[in-house]
Amino acid sequence: MKITKLILISILFQSLFALSGIELASLVDDRESPEDMKSTMSMVLTNKNGKVRTSEIRSYSTDGNKKQILWFLAPADDKGVAYLKIEHEDKSDDMKLWLPNFKKIRRISSRKKSESFMGSDMSYEDMTSRNLSEYTYSITGSEIFDDNDCHILESIPNGIKSEYSRHISWITKDTYLLLKEESFDKNGALLKNKLIVYQKIKAYNIMEKLHVKNIQRNHQTVLKFDNIEVDSGIKDNIFHEKNLKRMPK
Amino acid sequence: MKSWLLNHVLIHPKRLIILNSLLTILFAWGLKWLVVDDNFMNMLPKDIESRRVWQEVETEFGSSEMMFIAFGNSGKSIYHPESFKMAWDLTELIEQSPYVHEVISIPTMNRMDSEDGFMEVDDLQPKRILSTEGIQDIKIYLDKNPAIKSRVIGKSGDFMSMAVRPMNNQVDLFTNHILSITDSLLTDYEVHYAGNSYITGVVPKIIKKDVSSLMAIGLIIMVIMLLANLRNISAVAMVLLIIIMSMVSMLGSMGWIFHLTGIEYFHFSMMNTSMPIVLLTIANSDGVHFITRFFREVRKKGDVREAVSTSLNALFLPIFLTSFTTAVAFMTLVSSPIKHMMGYGIAIAFGILWAWILSVTILPSLIILKKWNLKSPALSRSSYLEKWTERLGQKILMVPKRVLSFGLLLVFFVSFGLWKVSVEVNVIKFFKPGNPIRDSSEFIDRELSGSMSLLFKATGDMKDPNVLNDMLLIQEKAESFPQSNTSISIADIIKTMHKVVMDDDPKYETIPETRGKVNNLFTMYSMSGDPDDFNSLVDYDYETGLITSLLNSISTNESVEMVTELESFIEKSVTANLQIKISGMIVFLRDFVDMVIRSSFISIGLSILIIFIITWIFFGSFRWGLLSVIPLASAIILNFGLMGHFEVHLSHMTALLTSIIIGVGVDFAIHYIAEFRRNARRGYSIEELSVKTTEDVGYPILLDVASNMGFAALLFSALIPLNYMGGLMVFAMISTSLGTLTLLATIVEIFKKHLYNS
Repeated sequence: MKITKLILISILFQSLFALSGIELASLVDDRESPEDMKSTMSMVLTNKNGKVRTSEIRSYSTDGNKKQILWFLAPADDKGVAYLKIEHEDKSDDMKLWLPNFKKIRRISSRKKSESFMGSDMSYEDMTSRNLSEYTYSITGSEIFDDNDCHILESIPNGIKSEYSRHISWITKDTYLLLKEESFDKNGALLKNKLIVYQKIKAYNIMEKLHVKNIQRNHQTVLKFDNIEVDSGIKDNIFHEKNLKRMPK
Repeated sequence: MKSWLLNHVLIHPKRLIILNSLLTILFAWGLKWLVVDDNFMNMLPKDIESRRVWQEVETEFGSSEMMFIAFGNSGKSIYHPESFKMAWDLTELIEQSPYVHEVISIPTMNRMDSEDGFMEVDDLQPKRILSTEGIQDIKIYLDKNPAIKSRVIGKSGDFMSMAVRPMNNQVDLFTNHILSITDSLLTDYEVHYAGNSYITGVVPKIIKKDVSSLMAIGLIIMVIMLLANLRNISAVAMVLLIIIMSMVSMLGSMGWIFHLTGIEYFHFSMMNTSMPIVLLTIANSDGVHFITRFFREVRKKGDVREAVSTSLNALFLPIFLTSFTTAVAFMTLVSSPIKHMMGYGIAIAFGILWAWILSVTILPSLIILKKWNLKSPALSRSSYLEKWTERLGQKILMVPKRVLSFGLLLVFFVSFGLWKVSVEVNVIKFFKPGNPIRDSSEFIDRELSGSMSLLFKATGDMKDPNVLNDMLLIQEKAESFPQSNTSISIADIIKTMHKVVMDDDPKYETIPETRGKVNNLFTMYSMSGDPDDFNSLVDYDYETGLITSLLNSISTNESVEMVTELESFIEKSVTANLQIKISGMIVFLRDFVDMVIRSSFISIGLSILIIFIITWIFFGSFRWGLLSVIPLASAIILNFGLMGHFEVHLSHMTALLTSIIIGVGVDFAIHYIAEFRRNARRGYSIEELSVKTTEDVGYPILLDVASNMGFAALLFSALIPLNYMGGLMVFAMISTSLGTLTLLATIVEIFKKHLYNS
């Protein structure tokens, strides 16, 4: 009898203090991140026939990637191409591209958020942080993933235009880091599988490697970040089109 | 063996019937493993150069043979919210099909706009329900881009079209699934379909339906003809029993072989459609020869057992020889470069040999067991055809030299047509004008950008301006043909992007002058559009591109001329940096049919040689061996010669049917020769030999011919190759029988002294 009571009390206690889906999503969102970041990014794309394309890009970003400037270092064909993105809350994002062979800066746009970013398996939607109010969250369980005790969080888009019907995310219980995510298409079939590896720099857990596989296209992207510098004091005027033409030393 | 068989037929007929029935059941058991393969693509060989190129193109860029669906209402503008809503729903449903690789329609297309140095890639139809302004915006964009418009909007603006790319090698399932979707959705619209993947998906079913219904009519006519001449239901039933038993055994043997070996060449595909017809003709011939002989003997002798014994004695060798030679002739198909022909040859050879065994075992046993009314008209009096044949034989043999000269002259003049034989493999041309499938396809040719495609696999650096300019040169040449509507390649996209980057200035709608600029354009697109957008135009490494030229449905001859001219243009005008290979279903089919025809001719030649050797050995005489192939050879010359003169095209279906000529042509000659030799041995004088022989075998030959005239029903099919099939059956029967009863009979008559002595 005593044991039964103890179990009932324990369940009641747990349910009172259990984390809700939205709370977990907020904790992930509120995770401490650097003011700015510099890195050299290598992007390896592999198609269904095993053919590979590799790019090397120098990236500066601030404000959680809302301002970003990229300079292409390799392959030789793309060397000199540069890209500037500034996200706005109230209007379309500014995207500019420096085409060195035309000696022209061109504004580009994709209204289609499902379009791939630079031929990779990440869409603009994947690159944009999720607005908490636009999703319905629920914790569906917990699991040990890669030696980490994780919550399993389900996120369902709520009245927004999305290429996905839902996401299932594996989030560490102690640090609220996203380690793995499965994203499903509108028909409910698995579309993408993401795996993320972090490294500790200063007080931050910074993404070191991102592996995205598009299951349906049988295409994958591996992004690796090197030479990472955080909070180095990138000035706001770096995000200007004049800097597209030449990478600052 | 003959006396052993005769002994069993006369003493243990029931035992023979039970044994053969059990064996037939055993063979027929294989039917449960018989695979009916409707997929047209499976029967096509994979080792032809143009197929290899085509396969490479399809592996890299996806299936090239699209199904086109056009819907709308004549005279009513398609620029209406309901039409766009329908296009959206249709696209969504079709995209969900497991047999579909891609849908190219207004809802899936992108638009590329430029304004104030701003390049934007967006959906052409951004949402399901559009406002009038939204539709107007799409209309303006399409009007500015006529090449895109011609692919999705009809010339009169009252039809909308979409192209559906199937998953490779699934055309039959693909077509069925798409048709089920369109049938359920497009109830308020006129709908037209076209494209090779559609045609190859629906044609096998139409052929099967037409063949089975018209063959049933043919069989009914066969029964009527047999009844009218044999005038005995039991006799006709016995002939039909032999046909049915040999038929199920042949089809069962295909099932057994596939079950035991797993070899797919033993599937029953469209190529095997002629098999039942060929076997039916041969099995019918065996039965008719035996029954008519029995009737003749019983009329003379008045005793059933004695008549059976004499008939079996007289026909054992000729029926064996006709079956053996025909089976061996079909077995030569084992060496065919088209592997599916191997299964065809082996299975039909088995069916023929089994029909022979049944004709000399079950048939005489049934005759022995049946209580015959010897006073019935069937057994006591000759039929009209029999009497007429005797008179015809006498007349021919009265003027043998004149008949022979006429026959030889006819063969000589007709033989000039051999060089005029042409090939038609465009399946849409299989349908007569006015047929809904042909009309539908012609509508898409007339109103949209065409239902056929020619592919150019371009290998070279796809970022090199010289290579891209050469590709445009080829496109320009391809578009100069009146049958061509438009063409598309990555070079077109580069031109458009160049214009967009240069502030939409039309003078920059060209290939940029440097490789770096081309590369910048690709990079720019990767930032704003989906790289998958180029999947059907250029490979991942930018080393191979695809030019697709959209054509109206053209004949094989037109395609051959077009490809030849394009090949010579490419050789003269294209730089060494670019290698071009032309392919596509039409080019492949042209090569395939060439192969079928060559294979058929080799098989015919080889068959004639083998038949000659076999009859030489069995008759023990070189002269008789040579004579046995004369009607067959002349019938073949007449057949192909007349096809050439009357512009009857050869196709992958009709080329195979020449085997019917081999099947029946040699039979008649062997029966004639065997009977002549038998009569000579029986002591008939040299003067009466030919007349007697014609009397004995002329009737069964002509009854065999008459009973097969029912296949003329195929002349009423909607499909032109089936008309040819019916016509060929009739023609093969008439030409080979007349070849035997005129050419062979008169040669034998003229040289009878030499032949008698030999």
